[in-house]
Amino acid sequence: MSANIMRGAAAVVGVAEQHYKRGEAPHSEKRMTLEVILQACADAGISPREIDGFVSYAGGANDGAIVGGALLIDELRWSNMMWGGGGGSVAAAITNAATAIATGQADCVVVYRAMSQADTGRLGYAKYHYGSHFLAHGIGSPAQICAMRTQRMLEHGGVPRTAMRSLVLASYQHAQSNPTAQGYGRPLDEEAYENSRLIAEPFHLFDCSRESDGAVALVLVSAERAKTLRSDPAYLLAGAQGAPGGYSELIDNDLGEQYMSAGFGPANNGKPGVAERLWSAAGLGPDDVDVVQVYENFSGPAVAALIDHGLCPPGEAAGTFMTVENLTAPNGKLPLNTSGGNLADSFINGLNLAVEAVRQIRGTSTNPVDGAKTSLFIGGPMAPLVSSVLFGHEETL
Amino acid sequence: MTATEPVVEPWGPTPDGLDGPYWDGLRVDELRLQRCNECSTWIWGPQAICGHCHSFDLGWETVEPSGTVYSWNRSWYPYMDEYADRLPYVTVLVELPQADGRRVLGILADDVETNPEIGDRVVGVFEHSEGAPWPLLRWRRAATAEGEKG
Ligand SMILES: [Zn+2]
Repeated sequence: MSANIMRGAAAVVGVAEQHYKRGEAPHSEKRMTLEVILQACADAGISPREIDGFVSYAGGANDGAIVGGALLIDELRWSNMMWGGGGGSVAAAITNAATAIATGQADCVVVYRAMSQADTGRLGYAKYHYGSHFLAHGIGSPAQICAMRTQRMLEHGGVPRTAMRSLVLASYQHAQSNPTAQGYGRPLDEEAYENSRLIAEPFHLFDCSRESDGAVALVLVSAERAKTLRSDPAYLLAGAQGAPGGYSELIDNDLGEQYMSAGFGPANNGKPGVAERLWSAAGLGPDDVDVVQVYENFSGPAVAALIDHGLCPPGEAAGTFMTVENLTAPNGKLPLNTSGGNLADSFINGLNLAVEAVRQIRGTSTNPVDGAKTSLFIGGPMAPLVSSVLFGHEETL
Repeated sequence: MTATEPVVEPWGPTPDGLDGPYWDGLRVDELRLQRCNECSTWIWGPQAICGHCHSFDLGWETVEPSGTVYSWNRSWYPYMDEYADRLPYVTVLVELPQADGRRVLGILADDVETNPEIGDRVVGVFEHSEGAPWPLLRWRRAATAEGEKG
């Protein structure tokens, strides 16, 4: 099928985020959710009453009826929550909102996520997410599982560890021009990175994301409406989600080379998979991407995600490509995580990265990539379900 | 050699009992994995259905506990209270050629300082700790285990 009703049908017209050090949120998740939704609506220039759809990502107690009820919206038409923790469905939540708009199910959909240590504990998850066949062997955290997958990518896949290091250093370099980043004023160099304590090998401290309290909201409307609201909407060119069947859910028995991938690769039947579906729906390829925000709970999965998307070569060549110079704005070949990302800015379960992806289309990032027309957001590498979304400037339509 | 202290929580069979034969096998020093009675496909982790032929008729077979390191990780951060006092420890993902390459996890029970390498041969040892409700399968480098035998 060549006709793609999704391409350019919806656009992000309002964004807002707030973050605090973990455990220091001044308000509940519900109040923060309401605050960022109001801020995002103000950013878009629309009344919050016009919101008729809600998509929350990865849990939270405040569904669309609750939030819509509090805001006394005119009518609720769409209320969804995306399955898949670990950041996996974070981009898919945006696709879900755009799908509602493109198919006429709703007109104005907000995508949101709030996290507060006081409300739902660490990351809002139960103490142990994993079953006894992980726990019995000392594996109780995504960090350790991602570390094992990353170890195979390094040792068997031949990707040099410097690829991970460059991604981390580029993130910290970007944070130095972002006054609201938690890593602002705390530059990181190779030596400090290498000497930082080990967490779950091959991850050192700086390979692991921060955890923050806070909230994020993005408001989407139809392309037609978007044009009347502002001059710089971020159009959704394409979004894709999924993973090869069984990926990461079979106690580390996913097939062959899928194990060390980030999950965006070909399906079990050889069909394209998430990354290829994204490119084909967008009518663009990896060479057309101007700037990337890649979810990095840990540095290794982020490198794997770039490889899966064809943005970085696999194997040894990943080390040559993944240099701090190539990964930093404004002149790098593939500037990434330009706010500082989850590592050096903040971590609201990764949805904060989507806001930065939109800022790049608007030209309002603290590390703008000159003339960026396409802006990619990759969600949750190495999670059971993964997703990505490609935003484009009006000129790309 | 690092001691492998007894662990009590929260492992053991899942509430649905699906993996009961695995844990029962450990009591008699056997590694048991699921296998489809219809198409003979090895299955891991425990499932209610064979993903290949969609039969629900699944059995269990005993597998020799030896294999090769598929990947590994050394944990330094106390992610789990139960293992906090024995950091660091190495967890290996072991590929079992005799079960069509199914992989099982386990802690490397010795020599925590030396990095394992992917492809290293390892053998399983059944650890019965006093007071622990269930035995655990640990792994040792094949060379170490053979040395101890000799
Ligand atoms: Zn079968």
